[in-house]
Amino acid sequence: MAIFILRRIAQGLLVILGVSLVVFVATRLIGDPVKVMLPLSATDTQRAAFEHQLGLDLSLPRQLVDYVGSLIRFDFGDSLWQRRPAMEVVFERLPNTLLLITCSLGCAIMLALPLGAIAALRPGGIADRVTVFGGLFGLSLPQFWLGLLLILVFAVIFKVLPTSGGGSLAHYVLPAVTLGIPSLARLMMLARSSMIDELNQQYIRTARAKGLDFRQVMIGHALRNILSAFITLAGWEFISGLAGYTVVVETVFAWPGLGLTALQAIQRSDLFLLQAIVFTVAVLIVAINVGLDVAQKLIDPRINLA
Amino acid sequence: MDSIRVFWTAAVVSAALCAGCVGTSWASELTIAIGSEPSTLDSQLREDGGERAVSDNIYETLMARTADGALVPGLAAEAPSQQAPTIWRFKLRGGVKFQNDEDFNADSVVASVQRIIDPAFKSEQASYFSTIVKAEKVDNLTVDIVTSGPDPLLPSRMYWMKMVPAKYSSDPAFAAAPSGTGPYKLEAWNRGQNIILKKNPNYWGDKPAIDQVTYSFIAEPGTRLSSLVAGEVDLITNLLPEFVTAVPAYAAVPGLETSVIVLGADNPVTGDARVRMALNLAIDRKALSENLFGGFAKPAQGQLVNPKAFGFNSALSPYPYDPDRARALIKEAGAEGKTVTLVGEAGRWLKDRETIEAVAAYWQAIGINVDTKFFEFGEYLTQLFDKEHRPGAVFVQNSDELLDADRPMTSAYESGASYASNSDADMAAKVKAARMTTDVKERAAIYAEITKHAYDEAYLVPLLNLEDVYGFSKRLEWKPRPDAKLLVKEMSLVE
Repeated sequence: MAIFILRRIAQGLLVILGVSLVVFVATRLIGDPVKVMLPLSATDTQRAAFEHQLGLDLSLPRQLVDYVGSLIRFDFGDSLWQRRPAMEVVFERLPNTLLLITCSLGCAIMLALPLGAIAALRPGGIADRVTVFGGLFGLSLPQFWLGLLLILVFAVIFKVLPTSGGGSLAHYVLPAVTLGIPSLARLMMLARSSMIDELNQQYIRTARAKGLDFRQVMIGHALRNILSAFITLAGWEFISGLAGYTVVVETVFAWPGLGLTALQAIQRSDLFLLQAIVFTVAVLIVAINVGLDVAQKLIDPRINLA
Repeated sequence: MDSIRVFWTAAVVSAALCAGCVGTSWASELTIAIGSEPSTLDSQLREDGGERAVSDNIYETLMARTADGALVPGLAAEAPSQQAPTIWRFKLRGGVKFQNDEDFNADSVVASVQRIIDPAFKSEQASYFSTIVKAEKVDNLTVDIVTSGPDPLLPSRMYWMKMVPAKYSSDPAFAAAPSGTGPYKLEAWNRGQNIILKKNPNYWGDKPAIDQVTYSFIAEPGTRLSSLVAGEVDLITNLLPEFVTAVPAYAAVPGLETSVIVLGADNPVTGDARVRMALNLAIDRKALSENLFGGFAKPAQGQLVNPKAFGFNSALSPYPYDPDRARALIKEAGAEGKTVTLVGEAGRWLKDRETIEAVAAYWQAIGINVDTKFFEFGEYLTQLFDKEHRPGAVFVQNSDELLDADRPMTSAYESGASYASNSDADMAAKVKAARMTTDVKERAAIYAEITKHAYDEAYLVPLLNLEDVYGFSKRLEWKPRPDAKLLVKEMSLVE
C-alpha cells in the first residue's frame, strides 16, 4: 500500500509539472497582458515601457527558467491584476470554492444514495419513474439558467434568500443547489442502475432466501458493493467542480471563489495568477485521485492497486 | 425501510438549513452593486473601473469636474497658472487633512506626482501622466508641476491623479487600508464580499447626506438586476437598456464612450476616399441607437471626440444615412463586390457584437462584401495595434476619461501613434502641434481643423456616443455624472 501511494505521488508530481508547463505556454499564447491592462489610448512607447517594468520583455526561455524556479520555490510572483502575491489570492479564494463544492456535493450524495436505492427497489414502478424523470430533468437544466431562475423565485419574488454574494449560511443555499443538481442527478442515476444490477445478483437472492433481514441485505451487502463505483463518480464530481464547473455558478451568484477568480484572471490576461490557480488545482486533483484510490482499497480489499 | 428514513433525515436537515436563512435583515444604508471587486484601494496603481467607483469617494484630486463636466479646482484653491510654457503652478487648499491625520500640503502633492510617474511603481495610469517630469514644492501650499514640453492638458490630467499622503502611501498596508482627503473613509473590506465606507467626520467640504455606503461586486448583469429588484441594493451600474422597465427607477446620462470603426486609409479598397465616405453614408445610426440601445445612445457627430470634451467640433453633424448615394459612390469607385475585412471582438463593450454585425449588414446592402472577423480580446488587441498589417476596418470603443480631444486624436487620428490607420503626415503634425499649444483658442482651432479634415476624408466611421444607464431603488436621489463617477456625496435617500 505504501509503495502504491508513493508511486502515485511520484506520478502526480509528473502530472503537475506537465500541467504547469502547458499552462506556461498557454498563458503566453492567450494574449499580452500589457495591452489589456493599459488604456486603449496608451501609445506604443508607453506599452513597451510597461512591458519592460513587468519583465515581460524577457525572452521566452528566460521566462521559462524563472517560472520553473518559481515552481520549486512555490512562489508564483505577484498577480498582475491584484498586485499582491498570486498564491495569497489563491488561498483567499480557494476555501470559498471548496466549501461550496463540499456543501453541494455533500447534499447531493446524501440524497442520491437513498433516492437511487428506493428507485431500484421496484424498477419501472412509480418511484423509479419519478426518479428517472427527475434525474434526466436535472441533467438537462443549464446551470446558468437554473441559477438565474432560482434567484428570480427565491430572492426577487419570495425574498427569502439573498440574490448573491457570500457571508452567511443563507448565501450558500442557491449556489449550492444550482451546483449540486446535475451532480445529484448523475449520482442518483448511478446509484439506481448499479443497485438494480446488484439486487439481481445471486448472492442477494441467497441472502434473502436464507432469511436475512432486507435492511441488512440492502445496507450490508448491496450498498457496500455499489459504493466503490459511487465514490469514484463522487470524486469525479468534486474534481470537475474544482476544475471549472463552478465558474458558471460563481459568476451568476457573485461567489468569491476560485472559479470566478480564474475567469477574471483570464479576462485580464493575468499570467501569474492563472499559473498559480492551475498549479493549485492540479495539486488538489492529484491529491484527490490518490485519496480516492486509497478509499477504494479500504472499501473493497479485493481491488488490486498494483 | 432504512433508506427512506435516511432520505427524510436529509430532507429535514435541508429544510432546517433553509429556515436559517429567512432571518436575513435588510440594512437601511446605501448599497451600490458594481461589476467587479477592486483589486487594490491604492488609487494610483491600477486602471480599473471597480476600483475607481470606490476610491473616487475616498480620494480627491487637485482638479475636479462639476456635474456638467466643467473642470474646476478641487484640492487646488484656484485654477492653476502657467509660470512658463512647461511649468504649471497650483495653489493648494489649506486646512485639509488626510484620513490618517497627515496634512494635505505641497509635500503630499509632490509625493503623489513623483510616486505615480516612478517607473518602479509600475502604475497602469502612468500613460495619463507621461508628460510630467517632476513636481516641486514652492511653499507649504504651492506646487509647481514641470512638464517635458508645453502641456495644455495638465489641468485635465490633474483631475485624474488622486492625491495620496506623503508618508503613509509608502507603507505596504496602504493598498488595503487607504487614506485620502475625501468625504468617505474605509470602514471594512471583506474580500470577495463587500467594501464598506463611512462618512469622514473631518471632511473639509460640505457634509454628505449618506452616512454609510456598502459596495457589493456582481459581475453578471442578470444577477445585478435581480439584486436591485429584490431590494438588496440601491444603485446598479451598466443597466442593460432592455431592462429599464424592469427596475424601480433608472437614469441615463451621456457617457464617456464612443464607438467607432477605423478604416484603413492605406488598404486596397478602403484606400479610396469615396469608398470610405460610402461606408459612412451606408449606416443608419439612428436605427442602431433605437433598435440596439433602446435610444440610450446618440449618433456620433462625425468625430471621435466626446461632445463634452475639449476639442469637440460642434460644427460637424452625424454623417447622414443615404444608402443611394453610398451605392453610387461605391459604383463610381469601382468597388462593387470588393471585400472589406471588419475586425472586432465580442463581449468587452455593451452590444459590441450586435453593433458590428449590424454595420456589416449595412455595408453589404450597398454592394460591399464584408468579411467580419471576431477575435478573442487579446488577439483582437494584437490586430488593433499591428502597424504592419492594418485591417480594412476595425471596431473599437474609445473612452475619453480626460474629456479632452488629445487622447482620442492620438489613438485614432495620429498616424503611427496607436491604432490610427492612415499615413496623413500633415494631420499627425497638427495633432502633435495641438498637444503642445497652451493657448486655449488656438488649440481648439487646430482640433476643429483636424476633425473637419478627417470628416471630409472619412478616415473614421464614428458610430454612437453611448449613454451610461443606472438602475435606482425608489429611495435613491441622484443625478448621474457625464464623467461616470459615482460620487456618494452627491447622492441622498428619501425614506
